Amino acid sequence: MHELSIAEEIYRASRAAVAGHGAGRLECVTVAVGELAAIEPDLLKFAWQALTEGGPDVGSTLEVEWHAAHQFCVACDADKPRSDGTWLRLCPDCGRPLNVTGGMELDLLHVTFLPDGHEGAGEGSDDG
Amino acid sequence: MAEVVDIRARVLAANEQAAAKLRDQFRAGAALVLNLISSPGSGKTTLLEATVRALGGRLRLAGIEGDIATERDADRLRALGIPAVQILTGGACHLDARQVRKVMDEAHFPAFDVLFIENVGNLICPTSYDLGEDFKVALLSVAEGDDKPFKYPAIFARAAVTVITKADLLPHVTFDLDAVRGQVAALNPGGRLLVTSAKTGEGIATWCALIEERLATKREAEA
Repeated sequence: MHELSIAEEIYRASRAAVAGHGAGRLECVTVAVGELAAIEPDLLKFAWQALTEGGPDVGSTLEVEWHAAHQFCVACDADKPRSDGTWLRLCPDCGRPLNVTGGMELDLLHVTFLPDGHEGAGEGSDDG
Repeated sequence: MAEVVDIRARVLAANEQAAAKLRDQFRAGAALVLNLISSPGSGKTTLLEATVRALGGRLRLAGIEGDIATERDADRLRALGIPAVQILTGGACHLDARQVRKVMDEAHFPAFDVLFIENVGNLICPTSYDLGEDFKVALLSVAEGDDKPFKYPAIFARAAVTVITKADLLPHVTFDLDAVRGQVAALNPGGRLLVTSAKTGEGIATWCALIEERLATKREAEA
């Protein structure tokens, strides 16, 4: 459910970005997702498929660029990885609060757009 | 040839822009805005009813209620004499800033000091959507179990205030309050945790004092 609404936002923003490029279809959309963004890449890709099914952009793919969490411990003066399966904001070594400096990404990076009438775009229309 | 269009924008940019406009509007009105998030049935509306009874005489309050269906929650707040608008999401699991903007544009609320936005009952999805609030409040009733902060970390990590509700049930359920305090502190070192019961009134005065304090702080910062 959550990923579907995020996929809708991605779709809306992708279509808006190619609005000035004439008719055509989306081929691939690339997003950055951080480990602390509470988004599951597989569910997001599945939501994308479901969302584009039956529309002009059916068959387009959603690529996810994964960004690991970056958490810095001032006391240890070192980056600390997120321990598996938890969201603890405490240093695994000294127990002090960590500064989260990365891993919250949820960004639309770029879109590959196939204008109608260009090479590669014709195959689909021949079938139809 | 395929064209590559560079975008580099937040996926939720449209929501974030709407939230920024709301935040400006709330700042101009010198109003404090809370976004209440919890699972269904943890007592968001009941806490608000107790809050309205305690604070209604001193502050001008308003409510926006998010639900999939029914006007029940807004009716409950209106019955206590405060303006309230129901947003029916029709299936969506969270509110977004565009829906709140629509309400603010169309509802013509009388001026308010504090606006409570009660999100759709869900511990997961509402966490990602900024509604222009000053802070998020996570509610957890003691009947839900004492492992929830670690199981649903995003909301407990992002909520400035966690309110434990239905504390009157503590003698009847297995709920380790200290364990929950420890989990919330680990996820959210700067967050506050309050223990309340709308039924007995426990903690309601502290909760209301916190709201008044945050409102005063916001107004001083703007002055």
